[in-house]
Amino acid sequence: MKLLRQLFFAFSSAWQNFWRNLAVNVAAVVSIALILILAGTSLLLGHALGQVLDTYRHRVSVLSISIADKTPLTSVYDFEGQLRARQDVVSVRFVTKDEELKSFASDPRNQQLIEQIEGNPVPAKIEVSVAHLDDVKRIDALARHWRGVDRTDPTDYQGDFITNMLRLSTWLTIGGLGMLAVLTLASVVIVMNTIRTAVYHRREEIELMKLVGATEWFVRGPFMVEGVMTGVIAASLALGLLLAAYRPFVDRFRAELFFLPLSYDPRFVHVLAQDLLVGGAALGALGSYVGVRRFVKL
Amino acid sequence: MVIPPRYSNRPVIRFQHVWKTYPNGTDALRNICLEVSEGDFLFLVGASGAGKSSLVRLLIREEKPTRGRLMVHGQELRSLRRRHLPHFRRKVGLVFQDFKLLPRMTVHENVAFALQTLGESRQVIAHQVGAALETVGLAGRERSYPSELSGGEQQRVAIARALVHEPRLFVADEPTGNLDPATAWEIIQIFMHINAAGVTVVMATHNREIVDRMRRRVVAIDRGQIIRDDPYGKYHEAPPAAVLRLQ
Repeated sequence: MKLLRQLFFAFSSAWQNFWRNLAVNVAAVVSIALILILAGTSLLLGHALGQVLDTYRHRVSVLSISIADKTPLTSVYDFEGQLRARQDVVSVRFVTKDEELKSFASDPRNQQLIEQIEGNPVPAKIEVSVAHLDDVKRIDALARHWRGVDRTDPTDYQGDFITNMLRLSTWLTIGGLGMLAVLTLASVVIVMNTIRTAVYHRREEIELMKLVGATEWFVRGPFMVEGVMTGVIAASLALGLLLAAYRPFVDRFRAELFFLPLSYDPRFVHVLAQDLLVGGAALGALGSYVGVRRFVKL
Repeated sequence: MVIPPRYSNRPVIRFQHVWKTYPNGTDALRNICLEVSEGDFLFLVGASGAGKSSLVRLLIREEKPTRGRLMVHGQELRSLRRRHLPHFRRKVGLVFQDFKLLPRMTVHENVAFALQTLGESRQVIAHQVGAALETVGLAGRERSYPSELSGGEQQRVAIARALVHEPRLFVADEPTGNLDPATAWEIIQIFMHINAAGVTVVMATHNREIVDRMRRRVVAIDRGQIIRDDPYGKYHEAPPAAVLRLQ
Protein backbone atom coordinates (compact mmCIF):
# COMPACT_ATOMS: atom_id res chain seq x y z
CA MET A 1 0.00 0.00 0.00
CA LYS A 2 2.86 2.34 0.91
CA LEU A 3 4.50 1.53 -2.41
CA LEU A 4 1.29 2.39 -4.26
CA ARG A 5 1.05 5.70 -2.41
CA GLN A 6 4.68 6.46 -3.24
CA LEU A 7 4.01 5.60 -6.89
CA PHE A 8 0.98 7.87 -6.85
CA PHE A 9 3.15 10.63 -5.36
CA ALA A 10 5.75 10.09 -8.11
CA PHE A 11 3.12 10.33 -10.87
CA SER A 12 1.23 13.30 -9.44
CA SER A 13 4.47 15.13 -8.68
CA ALA A 14 5.79 14.42 -12.19
CA TRP A 15 2.53 15.65 -13.74
CA GLN A 16 2.62 18.88 -11.69
CA ASN A 17 6.26 19.49 -12.50
CA PHE A 18 5.76 18.82 -16.18
CA TRP A 19 3.25 21.68 -16.36
CA ARG A 20 5.19 23.86 -13.91
CA ASN A 21 8.31 23.65 -16.11
CA LEU A 22 6.32 23.69 -19.34
CA ALA A 23 8.72 25.86 -21.35
CA VAL A 24 11.73 23.65 -20.58
CA ASN A 25 9.72 20.50 -21.19
CA VAL A 26 8.28 21.71 -24.50
CA ALA A 27 11.82 22.48 -25.65
CA ALA A 28 12.87 18.97 -24.62
CA VAL A 29 9.85 17.39 -26.36
CA VAL A 30 10.63 19.25 -29.60
CA SER A 31 14.34 18.38 -29.46
CA ILE A 32 13.70 14.70 -28.74
CA ALA A 33 10.92 14.57 -31.34
CA LEU A 34 13.35 15.93 -33.97
CA ILE A 35 15.90 13.30 -33.05
CA LEU A 36 13.26 10.56 -33.08
CA ILE A 37 12.08 11.79 -36.49
CA LEU A 38 15.63 11.34 -37.73
CA ALA A 39 15.82 7.92 -36.08
CA GLY A 40 12.38 6.97 -37.48
CA THR A 41 13.36 8.21 -40.94
CA SER A 42 16.49 6.09 -40.83
CA LEU A 43 14.39 3.11 -39.72
CA LEU A 44 11.91 3.69 -42.56
CA LEU A 45 14.66 4.12 -45.13
CA GLY A 46 16.40 1.04 -43.76
CA HIS A 47 13.18 -0.91 -44.04
CA ALA A 48 12.53 0.32 -47.58
CA LEU A 49 16.05 -0.56 -48.66
CA GLY A 50 15.65 -3.85 -46.86
CA GLN A 51 12.50 -4.52 -48.87
CA VAL A 52 14.31 -3.79 -52.14
CA LEU A 53 17.32 -5.86 -51.10
CA ASP A 54 15.12 -8.73 -49.95
CA THR A 55 13.40 -8.86 -53.31
CA TYR A 56 16.73 -8.95 -55.13
CA ARG A 57 18.18 -11.33 -52.57
CA HIS A 58 15.26 -13.69 -53.11
CA ARG A 59 15.75 -13.50 -56.84
CA VAL A 60 19.47 -14.22 -56.77
CA SER A 61 19.31 -16.82 -54.02
CA VAL A 62 17.62 -19.14 -56.53
CA LEU A 63 20.23 -20.46 -58.94
CA SER A 64 18.95 -21.77 -62.23
CA ILE A 65 21.07 -24.57 -63.74
CA SER A 66 20.47 -25.28 -67.45
CA ILE A 67 20.51 -28.95 -68.44
CA ALA A 68 22.00 -30.09 -71.76
CA ASP A 69 19.32 -31.57 -74.00
CA LYS A 70 20.75 -35.09 -74.23
CA THR A 71 21.38 -35.58 -70.54
CA PRO A 72 19.74 -38.82 -69.27
CA LEU A 73 16.99 -38.33 -66.71
CA THR A 74 18.75 -40.66 -64.25
CA SER A 75 21.78 -38.35 -64.26
CA VAL A 76 19.50 -35.37 -63.58
CA TYR A 77 17.84 -37.20 -60.66
CA ASP A 78 21.25 -38.20 -59.27
CA PHE A 79 22.48 -34.62 -59.36
CA GLU A 80 19.17 -33.44 -57.88
CA GLY A 81 19.65 -35.92 -55.00
CA GLN A 82 23.23 -34.77 -54.51
CA LEU A 83 22.04 -31.15 -54.20
CA ARG A 84 19.20 -32.01 -51.81
CA ALA A 85 21.67 -33.73 -49.48
CA ARG A 86 23.59 -30.47 -48.96
CA GLN A 87 22.95 -28.35 -45.87
CA ASP A 88 23.35 -25.06 -47.75
CA VAL A 89 20.50 -25.96 -50.10
CA VAL A 90 16.94 -25.14 -49.05
CA SER A 91 15.04 -26.64 -51.99
CA VAL A 92 15.58 -28.14 -55.43
CA ARG A 93 13.07 -28.11 -58.26
CA PHE A 94 13.33 -29.78 -61.63
CA VAL A 95 11.71 -27.79 -64.45
CA THR A 96 11.07 -29.74 -67.65
CA LYS A 97 11.63 -28.25 -71.12
CA ASP A 98 7.85 -27.91 -71.61
CA GLU A 99 7.35 -26.13 -68.30
CA GLU A 100 10.24 -23.81 -69.06
CA LEU A 101 8.85 -23.00 -72.50
CA LYS A 102 5.43 -22.32 -71.00
CA SER A 103 7.00 -20.00 -68.49
CA PHE A 104 9.04 -18.30 -71.22
CA ALA A 105 5.94 -17.86 -73.38
CA SER A 106 3.91 -16.39 -70.52
CA ASP A 107 6.13 -13.29 -70.51
CA PRO A 108 4.53 -10.76 -72.91
CA ARG A 109 7.97 -9.49 -73.89
CA ASN A 110 8.75 -12.91 -75.47
CA GLN A 111 5.57 -13.15 -77.59
CA GLN A 112 7.19 -12.13 -80.84
CA LEU A 113 10.09 -14.51 -80.34
CA ILE A 114 7.78 -17.42 -79.56
CA GLU A 115 5.89 -16.88 -82.81
CA GLN A 116 9.13 -17.04 -84.80
CA ILE A 117 10.69 -20.19 -83.34
CA GLU A 118 9.91 -23.82 -84.10
CA GLY A 119 10.17 -26.69 -81.59
CA ASN A 120 11.42 -26.09 -78.08
CA PRO A 121 14.83 -24.41 -77.94
CA VAL A 122 14.79 -23.67 -74.18
CA PRO A 123 16.66 -26.12 -71.93
CA ALA A 124 15.23 -27.99 -68.93
CA LYS A 125 16.42 -26.56 -65.65
CA ILE A 126 17.16 -27.31 -62.04
CA GLU A 127 16.24 -24.44 -59.74
CA VAL A 128 18.23 -24.51 -56.52
CA SER A 129 17.24 -22.29 -53.63
CA VAL A 130 20.12 -21.67 -51.18
CA ALA A 131 20.11 -20.73 -47.51
CA HIS A 132 22.55 -17.80 -47.74
CA LEU A 133 23.60 -15.59 -50.61
CA ASP A 134 27.24 -16.51 -50.25
CA ASP A 135 26.30 -20.18 -50.81
CA VAL A 136 25.28 -19.45 -54.40
CA LYS A 137 28.88 -19.33 -55.55
CA ARG A 138 29.60 -22.85 -54.30
CA ILE A 139 26.50 -24.33 -55.93
CA ASP A 140 27.39 -22.56 -59.17
CA ALA A 141 30.89 -24.09 -59.10
CA LEU A 142 29.39 -27.53 -58.40
CA ALA A 143 26.91 -27.18 -61.26
CA ARG A 144 29.60 -26.14 -63.73
CA HIS A 145 31.49 -29.36 -62.95
CA TRP A 146 28.44 -31.54 -63.54
CA ARG A 147 28.52 -33.42 -66.81
CA GLY A 148 24.84 -32.80 -67.59
CA VAL A 149 25.06 -29.01 -67.54
CA ASP A 150 24.39 -27.02 -70.70
CA ARG A 151 27.87 -25.75 -71.59
CA THR A 152 26.64 -22.74 -73.62
CA ASP A 153 24.76 -21.14 -70.75
CA PRO A 154 25.40 -23.25 -67.58
CA THR A 155 23.76 -21.08 -64.87
CA ASP A 156 22.27 -17.65 -64.30
CA TYR A 157 24.81 -16.85 -61.53
CA GLN A 158 25.56 -13.10 -61.19
CA GLY A 159 28.66 -13.08 -59.04
CA ASP A 160 29.39 -9.33 -59.01
CA PHE A 161 25.82 -8.42 -58.29
CA ILE A 162 25.72 -10.71 -55.26
CA THR A 163 29.07 -9.48 -53.98
CA ASN A 164 27.95 -5.87 -54.33
CA MET A 165 24.65 -6.59 -52.68
CA LEU A 166 26.32 -8.27 -49.72
CA ARG A 167 28.72 -5.36 -49.39
CA LEU A 168 25.90 -2.81 -49.58
CA SER A 169 23.89 -4.72 -47.01
CA THR A 170 26.84 -4.78 -44.59
CA TRP A 171 27.56 -1.06 -45.00
CA LEU A 172 23.91 -0.18 -44.58
CA THR A 173 23.74 -2.16 -41.35
CA ILE A 174 26.93 -0.53 -40.01
CA GLY A 175 25.78 2.96 -41.09
CA GLY A 176 22.33 2.45 -39.58
CA LEU A 177 23.75 1.26 -36.28
CA GLY A 178 26.24 4.16 -36.20
CA MET A 179 23.52 6.70 -36.88
CA LEU A 180 21.27 5.14 -34.25
CA ALA A 181 24.09 5.30 -31.69
CA VAL A 182 24.73 9.00 -32.40
CA LEU A 183 21.01 9.81 -32.20
CA THR A 184 20.62 7.85 -28.96
CA LEU A 185 23.54 9.68 -27.39
CA ALA A 186 22.17 13.07 -28.49
CA SER A 187 18.73 12.29 -27.04
CA VAL A 188 20.17 11.15 -23.73
CA VAL A 189 22.22 14.36 -23.46
CA ILE A 190 19.15 16.51 -24.24
CA VAL A 191 16.88 14.75 -21.74
CA MET A 192 19.66 14.73 -19.17
CA ASN A 193 20.17 18.49 -19.45
CA THR A 194 16.45 19.21 -19.40
CA ILE A 195 15.93 17.15 -16.29
CA ARG A 196 19.04 18.64 -14.73
CA THR A 197 17.57 22.13 -15.26
CA ALA A 198 14.32 21.01 -13.61
CA VAL A 199 16.27 19.40 -10.78
CA TYR A 200 18.32 22.55 -10.27
CA HIS A 201 15.13 24.57 -9.82
CA ARG A 202 13.99 22.07 -7.21
CA ARG A 203 17.28 21.43 -5.44
CA GLU A 204 16.01 22.81 -2.11
CA GLU A 205 13.02 20.49 -2.23
CA ILE A 206 15.30 17.56 -3.02
CA GLU A 207 17.65 18.52 -0.20
CA LEU A 208 14.72 18.61 2.19
CA MET A 209 13.35 15.31 0.93
CA LYS A 210 16.69 13.71 1.72
CA LEU A 211 16.91 15.33 5.15
CA VAL A 212 13.45 14.15 6.21
CA GLY A 213 14.27 10.56 5.28
CA ALA A 214 13.24 10.08 1.65
CA THR A 215 15.03 7.27 -0.12
CA GLU A 216 17.02 7.92 -3.31
CA TRP A 217 14.38 6.21 -5.39
CA PHE A 218 11.60 8.24 -3.80
CA VAL A 219 13.40 11.43 -4.84
CA ARG A 220 14.31 10.05 -8.25
CA GLY A 221 10.83 8.63 -9.01
CA PRO A 222 9.04 11.84 -10.09
CA PHE A 223 11.96 12.85 -12.32
CA MET A 224 12.05 9.43 -13.97
CA VAL A 225 8.29 9.58 -14.63
CA GLU A 226 8.71 13.11 -16.00
CA GLY A 227 11.48 11.90 -18.31
CA VAL A 228 9.37 8.99 -19.56
CA MET A 229 6.43 11.37 -20.14
CA THR A 230 8.66 13.73 -22.13
CA GLY A 231 10.05 10.82 -24.17
CA VAL A 232 6.63 9.30 -24.92
CA ILE A 233 5.09 12.65 -25.94
CA ALA A 234 8.07 13.33 -28.22
CA ALA A 235 7.84 9.81 -29.68
CA SER A 236 4.09 10.22 -30.35
CA LEU A 237 4.74 13.51 -32.12
CA ALA A 238 7.53 12.00 -34.21
CA LEU A 239 5.43 8.92 -35.00
CA GLY A 240 2.45 11.02 -36.13
CA LEU A 241 4.61 13.05 -38.50
CA LEU A 242 6.41 10.00 -39.89
CA LEU A 243 3.18 8.09 -40.49
CA ALA A 244 1.68 11.09 -42.23
CA ALA A 245 4.69 11.21 -44.56
CA TYR A 246 5.27 7.46 -45.11
CA ARG A 247 2.60 6.62 -47.72
CA PRO A 248 3.05 9.81 -49.81
CA PHE A 249 6.81 9.15 -49.78
CA VAL A 250 6.35 5.57 -51.05
CA ASP A 251 3.85 6.69 -53.73
CA ARG A 252 6.18 9.42 -54.92
CA PHE A 253 9.16 7.05 -54.90
CA ARG A 254 7.32 4.43 -56.94
CA ALA A 255 6.19 7.04 -59.42
CA GLU A 256 9.73 8.28 -59.94
CA LEU A 257 11.68 4.99 -59.64
CA PHE A 258 9.13 2.40 -60.78
CA PHE A 259 11.76 -0.30 -61.41
CA LEU A 260 12.61 -0.53 -57.68
CA PRO A 261 10.34 -2.97 -55.82
CA LEU A 262 9.32 -0.62 -52.97
CA SER A 263 5.86 -0.78 -51.39
CA TYR A 264 3.92 0.60 -48.41
CA ASP A 265 4.15 -1.94 -45.59
CA PRO A 266 1.36 -1.59 -42.99
CA ARG A 267 3.02 -4.23 -40.75
CA PHE A 268 6.08 -2.03 -40.44
CA VAL A 269 3.92 0.80 -39.04
CA HIS A 270 3.36 -1.31 -35.88
CA VAL A 271 7.07 -2.05 -35.63
CA LEU A 272 7.90 1.63 -36.06
CA ALA A 273 5.30 2.70 -33.47
CA GLN A 274 6.60 0.16 -30.99
CA ASP A 275 10.26 1.10 -31.60
CA LEU A 276 9.69 4.84 -31.31
CA LEU A 277 7.43 4.71 -28.22
CA VAL A 278 9.61 2.22 -26.36
CA GLY A 279 12.74 4.08 -27.52
CA GLY A 280 11.31 7.46 -26.46
CA ALA A 281 10.32 6.16 -23.03
CA ALA A 282 13.68 4.47 -22.54
CA LEU A 283 15.58 7.59 -23.62
CA GLY A 284 13.52 9.73 -21.26
CA ALA A 285 14.10 7.35 -18.36
CA LEU A 286 17.81 7.04 -19.06
CA GLY A 287 18.28 10.81 -19.48
CA SER A 288 16.46 11.44 -16.19
CA TYR A 289 18.41 8.78 -14.37
CA VAL A 290 21.73 10.26 -15.45
CA GLY A 291 20.59 13.89 -15.01
CA VAL A 292 19.29 13.45 -11.49
CA ARG A 293 21.97 11.08 -10.18
CA ARG A 294 24.28 13.71 -8.74
CA PHE A 295 21.50 15.54 -6.91
CA VAL A 296 19.75 12.59 -5.32
CA LYS A 297 22.82 10.88 -3.96
CA LEU A 298 22.49 10.65 -0.19
CA MET B 1 8.71 28.26 32.81
CA VAL B 2 11.83 26.14 33.38
CA ILE B 3 11.52 22.40 33.04
CA PRO B 4 14.21 20.55 35.02
CA PRO B 5 16.52 18.54 32.79
CA ARG B 6 15.89 14.83 32.67
CA TYR B 7 18.88 12.53 32.35
CA SER B 8 18.61 8.83 31.80
CA ASN B 9 21.48 6.43 31.44
CA ARG B 10 20.80 5.53 27.82
CA PRO B 11 23.07 7.53 25.54
CA VAL B 12 21.37 8.71 22.36
CA ILE B 13 24.53 10.30 20.99
CA ARG B 14 28.09 9.16 21.62
CA PHE B 15 31.15 10.82 20.08
CA GLN B 16 34.33 8.82 20.71
CA HIS B 17 37.49 10.65 19.67
CA VAL B 18 35.85 12.04 16.58
CA TRP B 19 37.82 14.09 14.09
CA LYS B 20 36.53 15.88 11.04
CA THR B 21 39.13 17.05 8.54
CA TYR B 22 38.02 18.71 5.31
CA PRO B 23 39.77 18.00 1.99
CA ASN B 24 41.68 21.32 2.25
CA GLY B 25 43.31 20.01 5.43
CA THR B 26 41.30 22.07 7.94
CA ASP B 27 40.47 20.22 11.15
CA ALA B 28 36.87 21.32 11.82
CA LEU B 29 36.53 18.96 14.80
CA ARG B 30 39.39 17.60 16.87
CA ASN B 31 39.13 14.63 19.15
CA ILE B 32 35.52 15.18 20.20
CA CYS B 33 34.31 12.99 23.06
CA LEU B 34 30.73 13.61 24.07
CA GLU B 35 27.74 11.66 25.34
CA VAL B 36 24.16 12.87 25.22
CA SER B 37 21.59 10.87 27.13
CA GLU B 38 17.96 10.32 26.29
CA GLY B 39 15.83 13.31 27.25
CA ASP B 40 18.83 15.67 27.49
CA PHE B 41 18.54 19.29 26.40
CA LEU B 42 21.95 20.36 25.23
CA PHE B 43 23.13 23.75 24.03
CA LEU B 44 26.11 23.73 21.72
CA VAL B 45 27.80 27.10 21.96
CA GLY B 46 30.85 28.71 20.44
CA ALA B 47 32.00 31.45 18.12
CA SER B 48 31.41 31.33 14.38
CA GLY B 49 33.70 28.79 12.77
CA ALA B 50 34.26 27.00 16.10
CA GLY B 51 32.87 23.75 14.71
CA LYS B 52 29.22 23.73 15.86
CA SER B 53 27.77 23.34 12.40
CA SER B 54 30.30 20.64 11.50
CA LEU B 55 29.21 18.74 14.60
CA VAL B 56 25.55 19.14 13.60
CA ARG B 57 26.31 17.94 10.07
CA LEU B 58 27.96 14.84 11.48
CA LEU B 59 24.96 14.23 13.74
CA ILE B 60 22.54 14.15 10.82
CA ARG B 61 25.06 12.27 8.71
CA GLU B 62 25.34 14.98 6.08
CA GLU B 63 29.03 14.32 6.50
CA LYS B 64 31.08 11.44 7.85
CA PRO B 65 33.69 11.66 10.61
CA THR B 66 37.26 11.40 9.34
CA ARG B 67 38.34 9.47 12.43
CA GLY B 68 36.72 8.10 15.57
CA ARG B 69 33.34 6.57 16.32
CA LEU B 70 30.02 8.38 16.28
CA MET B 71 26.97 6.50 17.52
CA VAL B 72 23.43 7.91 17.25
CA HIS B 73 20.49 5.77 18.37
CA GLY B 74 22.94 2.89 18.62
CA GLN B 75 24.00 3.19 14.96
CA GLU B 76 27.59 3.87 14.02
CA LEU B 77 27.35 6.67 11.47
CA ARG B 78 30.72 6.34 9.76
CA SER B 79 29.91 2.86 8.55
CA LEU B 80 26.17 3.46 8.05
CA ARG B 81 25.25 2.25 4.58
CA ARG B 82 23.60 4.67 2.15
CA ARG B 83 20.50 2.54 1.90
CA HIS B 84 20.00 2.74 5.69
CA LEU B 85 20.43 6.51 5.81
CA PRO B 86 16.76 7.40 5.14
CA HIS B 87 15.65 5.18 8.04
CA PHE B 88 18.20 6.86 10.30
CA ARG B 89 17.10 10.37 9.29
CA ARG B 90 13.47 9.53 10.04
CA LYS B 91 14.46 9.23 13.69
CA VAL B 92 15.93 12.74 13.78
CA GLY B 93 13.99 16.03 13.63
CA LEU B 94 15.93 18.85 11.97
CA VAL B 95 15.45 22.59 12.33
CA PHE B 96 17.58 25.19 10.57
CA GLN B 97 18.26 28.88 10.98
CA ASP B 98 16.82 29.68 7.53
CA PHE B 99 13.68 27.52 8.10
CA LYS B 100 14.06 25.74 4.72
CA LEU B 101 10.36 25.91 3.87
CA LEU B 102 9.18 25.34 0.32
CA PRO B 103 7.63 28.63 -0.84
CA ARG B 104 5.26 27.01 -3.36
CA MET B 105 3.63 24.88 -0.68
CA THR B 106 1.13 25.84 1.99
CA VAL B 107 1.84 25.35 5.69
CA HIS B 108 -0.06 22.06 5.61
CA GLU B 109 1.81 20.85 2.51
CA ASN B 110 5.18 21.82 3.97
CA VAL B 111 4.54 19.74 7.08
CA ALA B 112 2.79 16.90 5.23
CA PHE B 113 5.73 16.65 2.84
CA ALA B 114 7.83 14.87 5.49
CA LEU B 115 5.15 12.18 5.82
CA GLN B 116 4.51 11.86 2.10
CA THR B 117 8.12 10.82 1.63
CA LEU B 118 7.40 7.96 4.03
CA GLY B 119 4.34 6.89 2.03
CA GLU B 120 1.84 7.54 4.82
CA SER B 121 -1.90 7.51 4.08
CA ARG B 122 -3.93 10.72 3.74
CA GLN B 123 -5.74 10.05 7.00
CA VAL B 124 -2.51 9.56 8.93
CA ILE B 125 -1.00 12.66 7.30
CA ALA B 126 -4.06 14.82 8.08
CA HIS B 127 -4.11 13.67 11.70
CA GLN B 128 -0.40 14.04 12.38
CA VAL B 129 -0.04 17.36 10.56
CA GLY B 130 -2.97 18.73 12.59
CA ALA B 131 -1.40 17.57 15.85
CA ALA B 132 2.04 18.96 14.96
CA LEU B 133 0.62 22.35 13.98
CA GLU B 134 -1.34 22.45 17.20
CA THR B 135 1.83 21.73 19.21
CA VAL B 136 3.59 24.70 17.62
CA GLY B 137 0.52 26.93 17.95
CA LEU B 138 -0.31 27.24 14.26
CA ALA B 139 -3.69 25.49 14.13
CA GLY B 140 -5.85 27.36 11.64
CA ARG B 141 -2.94 28.56 9.47
CA GLU B 142 -2.80 25.40 7.34
CA ARG B 143 -3.66 27.15 4.08
CA SER B 144 -1.24 30.02 4.45
CA TYR B 145 1.93 30.19 2.38
CA PRO B 146 5.33 30.81 4.01
CA SER B 147 5.47 34.31 2.49
CA GLU B 148 2.32 35.19 4.45
CA LEU B 149 3.92 34.25 7.78
CA SER B 150 6.28 36.08 10.14
CA GLY B 151 9.78 34.72 10.80
CA GLY B 152 8.69 33.16 14.08
CA GLU B 153 5.70 31.51 12.43
CA GLN B 154 7.88 30.16 9.65
CA GLN B 155 10.21 28.63 12.23
CA ARG B 156 7.18 27.07 13.94
CA VAL B 157 6.21 25.45 10.64
CA ALA B 158 9.75 24.11 10.33
CA ILE B 159 9.52 22.70 13.87
CA ALA B 160 6.14 21.12 13.06
CA ARG B 161 7.70 19.49 9.99
CA ALA B 162 10.55 18.13 12.11
CA LEU B 163 8.09 16.96 14.74
CA VAL B 164 5.50 15.34 12.52
CA HIS B 165 7.18 11.96 12.19
CA GLU B 166 7.71 11.79 15.95
CA PRO B 167 11.50 11.68 16.14
CA ARG B 168 13.30 10.80 19.38
CA LEU B 169 16.09 13.29 18.69
CA PHE B 170 15.79 16.94 17.71
CA VAL B 171 18.77 18.72 16.18
CA ALA B 172 18.50 22.48 15.69
CA ASP B 173 21.19 24.61 14.05
CA GLU B 174 20.79 28.25 15.18
CA PRO B 175 16.98 28.04 15.18
CA THR B 176 16.64 31.53 16.70
CA GLY B 177 19.38 33.16 14.65
CA ASN B 178 16.97 35.06 12.40
CA LEU B 179 14.42 35.97 15.10
CA ASP B 180 13.92 38.88 17.51
CA PRO B 181 14.41 38.08 21.23
CA ALA B 182 10.70 37.74 22.06
CA THR B 183 10.04 35.40 19.13
CA ALA B 184 13.22 33.48 19.87
CA TRP B 185 12.00 32.87 23.40
CA GLU B 186 8.64 31.60 22.07
CA ILE B 187 10.53 29.14 19.85
CA ILE B 188 12.60 27.97 22.81
CA GLN B 189 9.37 27.36 24.76
CA ILE B 190 8.28 24.98 21.99
CA PHE B 191 11.59 23.13 22.19
CA MET B 192 11.20 22.82 25.95
CA HIS B 193 7.71 21.45 25.46
CA ILE B 194 9.06 18.85 23.03
CA ASN B 195 11.91 18.01 25.42
CA ALA B 196 9.44 17.58 28.29
CA ALA B 197 7.91 14.72 26.30
CA GLY B 198 11.26 12.90 26.54
CA VAL B 199 12.70 13.94 23.19
CA THR B 200 16.45 14.67 23.23
CA VAL B 201 17.25 18.16 21.96
CA VAL B 202 20.63 19.33 20.67
CA MET B 203 20.68 23.01 19.78
CA ALA B 204 23.60 24.93 18.32
CA THR B 205 23.16 28.58 19.22
CA HIS B 206 24.75 31.99 19.62
CA ASN B 207 21.94 33.27 21.82
CA ARG B 208 23.63 34.04 25.15
CA GLU B 209 20.42 35.32 26.78
CA ILE B 210 18.50 32.12 26.15
CA VAL B 211 21.32 29.83 27.25
CA ASP B 212 21.87 31.77 30.47
CA ARG B 213 18.15 31.84 31.22
CA MET B 214 17.56 28.14 30.58
CA ARG B 215 20.42 26.77 32.69
CA ARG B 216 20.61 23.50 30.79
CA ARG B 217 23.60 21.46 29.75
CA VAL B 218 26.06 23.58 27.79
CA VAL B 219 28.85 22.22 25.62
CA ALA B 220 31.22 24.91 24.44
CA ILE B 221 33.38 24.39 21.35
CA ASP B 222 36.39 26.38 20.29
CA ARG B 223 38.52 25.69 17.24
CA GLY B 224 37.06 22.23 16.84
CA GLN B 225 37.54 21.12 20.44
CA ILE B 226 35.18 20.83 23.39
CA ILE B 227 36.46 23.29 25.97
CA ARG B 228 33.61 23.03 28.47
CA ASP B 229 30.76 20.62 29.27
CA ASP B 230 28.59 22.04 32.04
CA PRO B 231 25.33 20.29 33.07
CA TYR B 232 23.70 23.53 34.26
CA GLY B 233 25.81 25.92 32.32
CA LYS B 234 25.83 29.45 31.14
CA TYR B 235 26.94 30.89 27.83
CA HIS B 236 30.58 31.86 27.98
CA GLU B 237 32.48 32.69 24.89
CA ALA B 238 35.74 30.76 24.64
CA PRO B 239 38.60 32.83 26.05
CA PRO B 240 40.82 34.49 23.47
CA ALA B 241 43.52 32.32 21.95
CA ALA B 242 46.27 34.30 23.71
CA VAL B 243 44.74 33.51 27.12
CA LEU B 244 44.46 29.82 26.20
CA ARG B 245 48.14 29.77 25.27
CA LEU B 246 49.05 31.29 28.65
CA GLN B 247 46.98 28.62 30.43
